Amino acid sequence: MKSLARIWTIAMNTLREAVRNKLLYALLFFGVAVILAGVVLSALSYVESERILQDFGFAAIRLFSVAIAIFVGVTLIHREVERRTVYAILSKPLSRAEFLLGKYVGLLVTIWLQMAIMVVFFVAVSLVTGAPLDAGHAAAFALIAAELAVIVAVATFFSAFTTPMLASFFSIGIWALGHMTRDLRDIGASSISESVQSTTALIHRVMPDLESFNFATEAAHGLAFAASDVWLPLLYGVGYVSVLLVAAIGIFERRDLR
Amino acid sequence: MQQHERRIVRIENIVKDFRPGFGLRVKRVLHGISLDVNDGEIFGFVGPNGSGKTTTLKVLMGLIRATSGEATILGHSVTETAFRREIGFLPENPYFYSHLTGREILGFFAKLSGVTRGRRKARISELLEWVGLDHAADSRLETYSKGMLQRLGIAQALVHDPRVVFLDEPMSGLDPIGRVEIRDLVLRLRSEGKTVFMNTHILHDVEMLCDRVAIIVEGRIRYQGVIEDLVGSGLHEVDIVAANLSPETVLELEDRLAAKLRGVGERVEIRVAEKEVNDTLRCVLAAGGEVVSVTRHRVSLESFFLSTVEGGSEIGE
Amino acid sequence: MRDWIHSWHRYIVAVIAISLTAFAHSAMDTSAEDDLSRIFLPEAAHAQLWSLGFDTVLADYYWLQALQLVGGERGDTAQHIAMIGEMVELITTLDPWGGGPYRFAAIWMTDSKQSVRTANRLLERSIAHIPTDWRSRYYLGFNYFFYLEENGKAADAFEAALGLEGVPRYLGALAARLRMNEGGLEMAADFLAEFARTTSDDFTRVEYLKALDEVETERGARKLDAAREEYWRRHGEDIRDVHDLLRGPAPILTQLPPAHPHFDFPVWRIDEQSGQIVSSFYRSRYHLHRADHDEERRERWRSMQEPDARAS
Ligand SMILES: Nc1ncnc2c1ncn2[C@@H]1O[C@H](COP(=O)(O)OP(=O)(O)O)[C@@H](O)[C@H]1O
Ligand SMILES: [Mg+2]
Repeated sequence: MKSLARIWTIAMNTLREAVRNKLLYALLFFGVAVILAGVVLSALSYVESERILQDFGFAAIRLFSVAIAIFVGVTLIHREVERRTVYAILSKPLSRAEFLLGKYVGLLVTIWLQMAIMVVFFVAVSLVTGAPLDAGHAAAFALIAAELAVIVAVATFFSAFTTPMLASFFSIGIWALGHMTRDLRDIGASSISESVQSTTALIHRVMPDLESFNFATEAAHGLAFAASDVWLPLLYGVGYVSVLLVAAIGIFERRDLR
Repeated sequence: MQQHERRIVRIENIVKDFRPGFGLRVKRVLHGISLDVNDGEIFGFVGPNGSGKTTTLKVLMGLIRATSGEATILGHSVTETAFRREIGFLPENPYFYSHLTGREILGFFAKLSGVTRGRRKARISELLEWVGLDHAADSRLETYSKGMLQRLGIAQALVHDPRVVFLDEPMSGLDPIGRVEIRDLVLRLRSEGKTVFMNTHILHDVEMLCDRVAIIVEGRIRYQGVIEDLVGSGLHEVDIVAANLSPETVLELEDRLAAKLRGVGERVEIRVAEKEVNDTLRCVLAAGGEVVSVTRHRVSLESFFLSTVEGGSEIGE
Repeated sequence: MRDWIHSWHRYIVAVIAISLTAFAHSAMDTSAEDDLSRIFLPEAAHAQLWSLGFDTVLADYYWLQALQLVGGERGDTAQHIAMIGEMVELITTLDPWGGGPYRFAAIWMTDSKQSVRTANRLLERSIAHIPTDWRSRYYLGFNYFFYLEENGKAADAFEAALGLEGVPRYLGALAARLRMNEGGLEMAADFLAEFARTTSDDFTRVEYLKALDEVETERGARKLDAAREEYWRRHGEDIRDVHDLLRGPAPILTQLPPAHPHFDFPVWRIDEQSGQIVSSFYRSRYHLHRADHDEERRERWRSMQEPDARAS
């Protein structure tokens, strides 16, 4: 219990620091602007304009949340070490694992909050234009939140041992690859070379399969879905985040903080 | 109190290698240092810049891992975390979250240290007053000067009322009044029965404050002991002021007697150990010099320190 | 001199700078690019790989582009239409659940049989992803029927649409007529009976049963046609009235088939315009109805296809 209290203390302080970050507001502003711009763009289509509106909304939420997750996440641990703020903190009865988890939770809460703001605009725009809102939309938002949890974990992982520059490269790379592995596996599966087949299949297994969190298309089309379409990806996300955080803690605990 | 608990901090044969860059090249910063800090004392860890004081403290705080050797605080291995409720740490040139105010940062550290909600507020106000930051308590740290950060760092180290306090260069960045205040604070901690481990390169502070010192030079402990032993050990020095000395004579004195010379106008001040006085006087007179005065005085920590650093010979223990 | 940037000179610099910018910008050709090759159209598989989860917005982007392609003064040249095909291919690869683009392709891709076949392939994809939408099947059937003149396939498509929500009631009967064209009256009757049995909508069932009555009547009309043929062979002249078939020492028929399966009042007569034997109830024979303007349109389309046909 004490441990949770310490994690929460670090998390809330991280949140407090993040909400004073101007980059966050810039990205949030653009996210909301794109959601609103969707109204104009969707009017260009004579069919399914509500759907196009929501497509833009989902894309904006995803793009700008991921951008915040990566650009704030990659400095998360590194900056504490670089600025030496970590020295006094770790001299307190607080393990490095608790510190790292606290930083992770703090950033995740920050990013979920800003996502919630964009979702409010999404809902408002949908209500005003009469676009449908149903359980599929809720599922899509939950899965975007899960994707963000994975992305923040990736950024935190790299931030635990490398510079923000390198961590951004790696995180963006993994994010992009994570959205390609399914297609890559399918392309690989049609290859005659067995090694290509097994390599692409392996990449698909090992890299985060971020397309599994992409439910926006289904939601915007109002397609029917099963509960397992939602909870299986959520479970996958929880598992993946745990693996990343355990690895990050392992690395961070062995580091010399000099 | 049990026997082993008298030794609050125990460092045994700590070696620390750094690997700067990516190569295999290692740089040994601590060459097997050992020292003990006893309950209730103010311990001075003294050495020139770059001698390994901060590195030793980082090992003690679990921030870096010793390559080999063992270090314990209050009987706990420094890799544990729970016992840190009992210790406070002021890092060198401390830096804290600049988006918080002084009061907020102390609240943050108090929560982390497990200070109960009820005691937190009063304790923070008390500390802010102690370190003289009550007027700036609600300003953000980005507006703090280096000296204010230093004071806040000390407050942060004491927020949970620890038994042992580790201070890395506590006087740096402070004005003369600040130094006096912190000095008083440290003495007050001792009077409350706390143990203080203090890194410093300012000998004056050591002389004023410390019960015991260890001198570290280039990663090796050169001396460890009580200041009185050191200063009152019968080691005396003699200052001889002479005039009319030729440069050749000056060189000879320096070479032969390891004397320290200082030009004072036309005259030369020669500082030598007590046993060298006769040889020195003989040498001066033989060269046609003129002895102006001869003064005997107790050796200062500074000159002891300098001779330790420069001489390279291990003294004490 | 050192201070020039702090004096009134800077206003001159600002004015010159603004004028230069405005001049350069207004002299530029900023009209929208009409050149189709300027639209970057990635291959569908590549776009899917590189879209990084933004498949739907990418699809929307090309959808809006496709709409621009047919709007305004641009005619539907072959180049445009090929482009529409590629775009819809891309759009529906990225987002196969949007019905609009498929129908858009079906409407616009009618310049050649090849285009129609491309549109039909896209409609098949639509059916695979949105099986509950009758419109793709309807458009598919229409394309087979009207442009490709493959009535069997048209009937297949229409039949698959029956029972879906929103499907027009006449579609089953139309499918049956197509069947008749392809496989004869018995086939049409079988299908209609089956539709009537399986539909859950009573109004629709009535439509099917009515169509079955018409088929039954047609069966009688065809019997009369055969008898008329025989009469011609025997007497060297045409009948003047259907009752001629019952007259004489050896009548070809002993009895006329009913002119309607359920009602007594309709009678058989020879239609003045076509010379065909028709039931007074229906006044025309059972066949694929085509409006005159439709027929004209199809003729035009056929003549357009001729050079195409010769080329292939
Ligand atoms: N991260 C590091 N990498 C390599 N060498 C280091 C590192 N930190 C300190 N050193 C070296 O270790 C030695 C001791 O440093 P330090 O403990 O900071 O000295 P002090 O605190 O006594 O001034 C110095 O020579 C310094 O250059
Ligand atoms: Mg130091």
